[in-house]
Amino acid sequence: MTTTLPPPPFDPELGAALTALADLIPPSLDGDLLTAMRSGSALAVPTEEELSRGGTFRVEERTVPGLGDDPDITLLICTPAAPTGTLGCVYHTHGGGMVLGDRRLGVVEMLDWAEQFDLVVVSVEYRLAPETPHPGPIDDCYAGLLWTAEHADELGFDRSRMIVAGGSAGGGLTAALALRARDQNGPELLGQMLIYPMLDDRNDTPSARQMAGLGVWDRNANEFGWTALLGDARGGPDVSPYAAPARATDLGGLPPAFIDVGSAETFRDEDVAYASRIWQAGGRAELHVWPGGFHGFDGLAPTAQLSHDAREARVRWLNRLFNG
Amino acid sequence: MKDLAVRLAALDADAGAALRVIAYFDGLVENKAGLQAIVRGAAVLAGCPARLDDRSRRVHVRVDPAGHAAPDPSAADERWMRTPVVPDASATLWLERIGEPGPVEAMILERAAGAARAVLDRTRGRAPAADPALAELIVDASAPAEVRRQAATSMRLSESDRFRAVALPSGPRVLPAETTPETAGRAGVGPAVGPLDLPASYAAARVALRFAADGTAEDPGPQVVRHEDLGGLALLADLPESAEMPDLRALEHAAAAGPWVLSTLHAFAEASSLRAAATALRLHHSSFQDRITQAEHLLGWPIRDPHGRLRLQLALALRRLRRHPPV
Repeated sequence: MTTTLPPPPFDPELGAALTALADLIPPSLDGDLLTAMRSGSALAVPTEEELSRGGTFRVEERTVPGLGDDPDITLLICTPAAPTGTLGCVYHTHGGGMVLGDRRLGVVEMLDWAEQFDLVVVSVEYRLAPETPHPGPIDDCYAGLLWTAEHADELGFDRSRMIVAGGSAGGGLTAALALRARDQNGPELLGQMLIYPMLDDRNDTPSARQMAGLGVWDRNANEFGWTALLGDARGGPDVSPYAAPARATDLGGLPPAFIDVGSAETFRDEDVAYASRIWQAGGRAELHVWPGGFHGFDGLAPTAQLSHDAREARVRWLNRLFNG
Repeated sequence: MKDLAVRLAALDADAGAALRVIAYFDGLVENKAGLQAIVRGAAVLAGCPARLDDRSRRVHVRVDPAGHAAPDPSAADERWMRTPVVPDASATLWLERIGEPGPVEAMILERAAGAARAVLDRTRGRAPAADPALAELIVDASAPAEVRRQAATSMRLSESDRFRAVALPSGPRVLPAETTPETAGRAGVGPAVGPLDLPASYAAARVALRFAADGTAEDPGPQVVRHEDLGGLALLADLPESAEMPDLRALEHAAAAGPWVLSTLHAFAEASSLRAAATALRLHHSSFQDRITQAEHLLGWPIRDPHGRLRLQLALALRRLRRHPPV
């Protein structure tokens, strides 16, 4: 199918924010831009002080073994200093298209949840593509998950209250962790929070085509990210579901999933399809498609009405999960 | 991703910040955002609560800097930064911060107010003063005074204030005396009067409209004409349509020689000197002189002496009247 489909319009506030920041937020990505973004400040991460929130959290970093012969990995661990009840845990995989970001990226929202639901936040520093192609990144994430679950007592949380969460590429890694934990008798997970997850290396849905050149993380950027991770195998017949969870043939037996995505972004159709396939496999999923949302809208324009609504929907799901 | 507010905070007072403010509110208008989104934009970008109060439409929108709606029934503090959203100041946009606005705050106020004005006109109905049916009634000399008084009340036009009737090709409008019509086309403006005398103001406005030009090469001249600026020229509007006017015929004959003729004659008639006219047309002084000589030849009378120039001005006015017959 080669017909160009008209894109859905951006939400008015989000579209305006995009206009105002157009020169700073290129929809696409290439090698030069990646180098610039890695050295620049496009992705804002919280400082140690911001992580501690004035003593609300104890912030530490632990070096733990990688899988097999892999190098050690670093986990950022933020523990509530004065919890009001039994602690749970959110194990977080950051976003950044498989090629950008670090363990602090996206942790601010995890801390919001942690304050509200008494959670230990563990965020993993996985190796990035293209320097480390698949399976390096997901192996690092999985190694960190295994270590975290095994050290629940030491970290002070109840193993039955552990979820995985991540946005964008981190959402894809989160979905992969849930698949892998199911397949390899890994830790029992209470839920998986997939925030506009990057799931499908084939990069050929109507939404991917519609949004080419528009918004944030368009089809070209997506191809760049997947190619960094998979090289020539991208889009071919032999891609592992632990790299691209949309490739999983069986979505049964997974922990309850929360999936959200914007209607005006590359990932819309693959994320909607993932939710549908979970239901078709007899699973539990909650899906939110935010009208006129571009990729990562709640991060870029956190004060917009749609961003408030999206964050609140996540919190309501967590509330049902932890307190229901 | 760093968010919009963080970006702007980092750029404060920098020219980049102003450009981003402009781009943001332009984006809201283009995407047809609602009032709350606009007030939220002001609050978030300024980093303090912002509110919009419109007494005439009973609108109150208040948003905190995190972007949450936070209505507050207490009255606005007169010391806060503010700007009127509509000319009669019945709607005001406030930043809840005391003091003189800095450059970025002033830009936020101006742009947010402009965006809000567009929304108020679009979604809450036009301001009563711009309601076409009421405006037609209040300028109608044949309507009984009592009916016009009621129309004035509905339009919230105080009998102690002064207004102008404006004649547009599409019909009448009523504006506060001190404002000028914002229109993309021709407009005639009547004198400032009390609301019950608007029929007289409108009659004058309709005369002025006939002197308003399209502003094109075919019809050069001002698009907005105030009746009080016409002076005795206004009497020309009373001439019968069929009146024989040789100078007008000569002018049409000259105009047929090429598009440069009308623009040259118009520039000459309007400008204070030959040099100023040449500058207005971006021509060299001597080329402009050549054109004038040629135009005089086509017209058949000299225009560089005061009498000839008056004849030319009258002929141009008559031409405009012929092009724009009374409606």
